[in-house]
Amino acid sequence: MKTSAILGRNARNQLYSKVYNSARGKSIAASKIRTKRYLKKEGIPIPEIFAIFKKPQDILGFDWSKLPSSFVLKPNKGLGGNGIIIVKKKSEDGDGWITTLKRKVGEEDLKLHILDILEGAFSISNVPDIAYIEEFVGRHKAFRKYAYRGTPDIRVIVFNKVPVMAMLRLPTKESKGRANLHQGAIAVGIDIATGITTKAIWHDKIIHHKPGTKRKLHGIKIPNWTRVLKLAVESGRSIDLNLFGSDIILHPDKGPMILEINYMPGLAIQLANEAGLRKRLEKVEDLKIQDAEHGVKVAKALFASSFSDRVKVKEGIKTLSVFEEIKIKSVAGKKFKTVAKLDTGAWRTSIDRALAEDLGLLDKENVLWYKKVKGAIGSEKRPVINLTYWLAGRKITTPASVAKRLSLKFPVIIGRKNLKGILIDPEITAEEKKEIVQKV
Amino acid sequence: MLSGILYWRVLLAQTSNKLISPTPTPFSTPEIKSEARDGLTEETEPVIDRLEKLLDEQELGAVWPTNPIKYAIRGSVASGVPTNTITMLLLLPLVAAIIAAARHIIGLRGFGIFLPAALSVVFVAIGPIVGIGLFLLIIAISILYRLLTIKAKIRLQFLPNKAMLLLFVVVGVLLLLFAAPIIQHPDLTNVSIFPVLIIVLLAENFSRVQLGKSAKTAINLTTETLVLALVSYVFLTYKPLQEFALLYPEILLLTVLIFIIAVGKYVGLRLIEFWRFRKLISG
Repeated sequence: MKTSAILGRNARNQLYSKVYNSARGKSIAASKIRTKRYLKKEGIPIPEIFAIFKKPQDILGFDWSKLPSSFVLKPNKGLGGNGIIIVKKKSEDGDGWITTLKRKVGEEDLKLHILDILEGAFSISNVPDIAYIEEFVGRHKAFRKYAYRGTPDIRVIVFNKVPVMAMLRLPTKESKGRANLHQGAIAVGIDIATGITTKAIWHDKIIHHKPGTKRKLHGIKIPNWTRVLKLAVESGRSIDLNLFGSDIILHPDKGPMILEINYMPGLAIQLANEAGLRKRLEKVEDLKIQDAEHGVKVAKALFASSFSDRVKVKEGIKTLSVFEEIKIKSVAGKKFKTVAKLDTGAWRTSIDRALAEDLGLLDKENVLWYKKVKGAIGSEKRPVINLTYWLAGRKITTPASVAKRLSLKFPVIIGRKNLKGILIDPEITAEEKKEIVQKV
Repeated sequence: MLSGILYWRVLLAQTSNKLISPTPTPFSTPEIKSEARDGLTEETEPVIDRLEKLLDEQELGAVWPTNPIKYAIRGSVASGVPTNTITMLLLLPLVAAIIAAARHIIGLRGFGIFLPAALSVVFVAIGPIVGIGLFLLIIAISILYRLLTIKAKIRLQFLPNKAMLLLFVVVGVLLLLFAAPIIQHPDLTNVSIFPVLIIVLLAENFSRVQLGKSAKTAINLTTETLVLALVSYVFLTYKPLQEFALLYPEILLLTVLIFIIAVGKYVGLRLIEFWRFRKLISG
């Protein structure tokens, strides 16, 4: 990979966060309580807030018995998961609680902790802070086997309404149940297209299993994946941020919820996904995205992980001729047979405009974005659409450009972007060629 | 060693007779200066000679456009401003620029920019060995204090907690100073209130990070701060550089200005990131 594909701290701060995030958005995101207020207004699901402590006096009149048996005590401007106490249940003797780390805490401990938070013990440069108590969200059953005690979350980085990269963060014994990477949590890359985990990173090194066990960390399917992505995109809208990391937890009953929003997301996500963030950001920078649904569709087309290709490569490389029969999926879901040219001289796959129109592929919902193309008559806008086809038994979904190919014999050209695991045999007789052309 | 023990006996004898003894001023103005240390924060004769002599030797042209600061320096030196103060001030932006470059080009973080810069000045004032020794002592005290409060289950509020830490640190530093006759390191007598305060500030930062984050992060950041301060110290005490700063202040300031802009505009990967993402780059 080129170094220019990787996003470093300098570029993240200077070229993206500073340029694309408004001062207002950053100040909202810095306060978890304010963030929640805005998200709630938008109807985005969040863990409920039970109590807010602004002044030391606030702890005096507080009725601790009103709280449910599990809750989370947090600093409003805490960093990296510090200063958080997670209470899982009431202790058996009834005068205290048991944390997720199986430690007993009493009312006095919590009060002192709140005072520490108010003094700014956990905030940036120790400015006075606010403490709050919110709903405890337990582990979703999909992750029960993989996380140690705490609740795992999903970090999605969103830029220009497109979810560009995602990872699952699994708490470990070392991270004391927290999902923060520098506390020792595991980062697992997620394929944007399918929501299946790909590769796990622990302390910036690749691991394959949950530490101390034989549980594989790749191949975990995230439930409600499309909803998770959509929620991530929507969470930035009300807060006026264009580049951010959205932390999402899966509530066992209520589904995905936004935990917090980070306008300077960490960069280790690149290691877990084996992909450069800067390249992805550049890809979506100029796209005109209408809404979250559109953004998710573009992301799935653009950033589909190649791991499914790799699996197929293992099955064996296929040798095909230059002209192959393919089936295209129409918007209605029907398969349409045609012949495509496998062209290693082209990068992206393209399809003839007339055919695309016939199959309904030019419908507004199926168009990903428009590309400016300079031609002989000046520049024109060509749509790039979502195309699904079957070639030699493989189903491939890819962005494809639409072109008027009146002079060409083949309505579809498959570019080298979609030719992984395929060898092309140029020795094809004139007769065979004629046969294929006749089919068209 | 012998004289040290003697000192203690005299001291003990004195305290048993009368408790009032001449109190030292908080700012160190030791009567006998050690020859080894040309402390730039204090007036030491040989240094003034060296730098002032240089100023006298340099031949200057017209004031404008290339010499305004040179003339201004001569004016203020003539009216009694020490040359070492001016040299130090001229080199400070350079040190700050180096610390900034260390963060944005190499990736060393440290505790901001002020602390390493201040610490480097401390090293110039009391020497790097005593400086680091004092620093380690203060850090050790703050760790001990933390362990002690955890063990004894004492929980104070944030600021009282910090005040208590300061009390412990001051007692520790005082003990070290009382031991001066035994240790007999010439730099130790130069220890004044300002270096101690700056090191306490660093210890405060250390324990804050330790409280908020983890001991590992705190140790990393502190080590990085120390490295940055030592590098800055080398720059501050490098004689040719001092002389250059005094003789060509315009060139120095302009170069530093351009350097800072270049560092501020750099958006490539930091050296540490090249290492961190090496698998992505090679893969």
